Amino acid sequence: MPENHCAPTRRAMRLGIAGPVGTGKSSLIMMICRELAHDIAIGVVTNDIYTDEDARMIRAAGVLDPARVLAVETGACPHTAIRDDITANAMACERLEAQHGPLDVILVESGGDNLTATFSPALVDVQIFLIDVAGGGDVARKGGPGIERADLLVVNKTDLGPHVGVDVPMMYADALAARQGGPVIALSRNDFRAVAELRGWVLDQHAAYIQGRLEPADPGPMAAHRHGPGEPEHAHAGGRHGHTH
Amino acid sequence: MSESPVKLAWEPQIQPEHGALTALLLADARLPIGGHTRSGSLEPALAAGVDDIPGFINLHLRTVVRTDAGTAVVARRHALAGLPLEPVLDAWRARTPSAALRADAEIVGAALVRLASRLWQLVPLPANPPGALVLGAIAAATGIDAADIARVVAYDAVQTITSAALKLRPGDPLEVAGWTLAAFPAIASVVSASADIVTPDQIPARSAPHLESYAEAHTTTTRRLFRA
Repeated sequence: MPENHCAPTRRAMRLGIAGPVGTGKSSLIMMICRELAHDIAIGVVTNDIYTDEDARMIRAAGVLDPARVLAVETGACPHTAIRDDITANAMACERLEAQHGPLDVILVESGGDNLTATFSPALVDVQIFLIDVAGGGDVARKGGPGIERADLLVVNKTDLGPHVGVDVPMMYADALAARQGGPVIALSRNDFRAVAELRGWVLDQHAAYIQGRLEPADPGPMAAHRHGPGEPEHAHAGGRHGHTH
Repeated sequence: MSESPVKLAWEPQIQPEHGALTALLLADARLPIGGHTRSGSLEPALAAGVDDIPGFINLHLRTVVRTDAGTAVVARRHALAGLPLEPVLDAWRARTPSAALRADAEIVGAALVRLASRLWQLVPLPANPPGALVLGAIAAATGIDAADIARVVAYDAVQTITSAALKLRPGDPLEVAGWTLAAFPAIASVVSASADIVTPDQIPARSAPHLESYAEAHTTTTRRLFRA
């Protein structure tokens, strides 16, 4: 029996995981399941852009009862599904709890969108933003709402630094600077200390959640951006975004 | 009015003069019920080789939309008359032979129940109601008349397809708005055929084997953008 099993009346803590395509969101989920599934009851909701590949991969990994992994289609609007209209994801979370509850944590994986996609605090209680070394050493410096203000920034695939010509300590320092002291974990699946740090962070968040100390925070609306060379730069106040990227 | 055991954030006030506004709210794609996750089976239809999207819209309006609009209208009448909604559900299920279409309609229904439970006070609903039945119950609770709720059902069906079309076969969105306009006579036919339906057995049962087979095929597709 999990040590810190939550009361059946409290819904599970929802942990969002966002970040660009290929940064390792599904792998991070499998890692969290592998590290914590014996301690806490976990469910997973995936938001694939075009397949249910992520859900199938996580089910096949053997780290969790396959029935506890649900896939949500987002109609080519991964950003909308975690921010403006969270209905499909919220219903998937509710269904997981109804069928497999009580759960302690539900991991909600966003579709790999872009650097500006972050979760609405109405959907998740806490969120991780994920970037990776192979995606470019300058990504952390470029910033964005997720990089700067998600509850945790994970810089993934640090073991690839030498192979892709990225100075990992500098990228980590950029990330720390962009977040003004907010937590950053430089992660590699082979780095046991970093994996332990991630495990500890998730457990700390869950402890804070069940003690009522966790206040969902919005990393912020998308930054000013443009849609093409001829287009003027514009922002969307209040997080509203009526078009697809 | 009977006492409600349900505790609401505020007292619901049925103001029939706001029925038309509530109908607009229900027809608005920005309503948070996951409308962006469905294509009205357009995605599997295109995959199966359909390329006449206005014709596909018309197919909906002549078949499944007749059943859904009739269901909403009868559900509204039953709710207003204090009659149970189970016979309406049974009639809808009997007229919706595709398990895939039923399952998707139940997801829409669950999203509408989720919304309505925060905004209005509905009559007791049967388990797993389809969207059309919930819309009828919302109409009864909020003063939407029979023609208006039938119009919402038909208009939503059309706009679900047209907005998905812009994702699946991107073209000039002004032309796509023209498809909606071109569907107005068929929508009006749905409204006039549905508004006076009273009993569950009067709900139309139109056969739509192509549409049903597209919907069924979609459930086993692994590469898809839309839930349905």
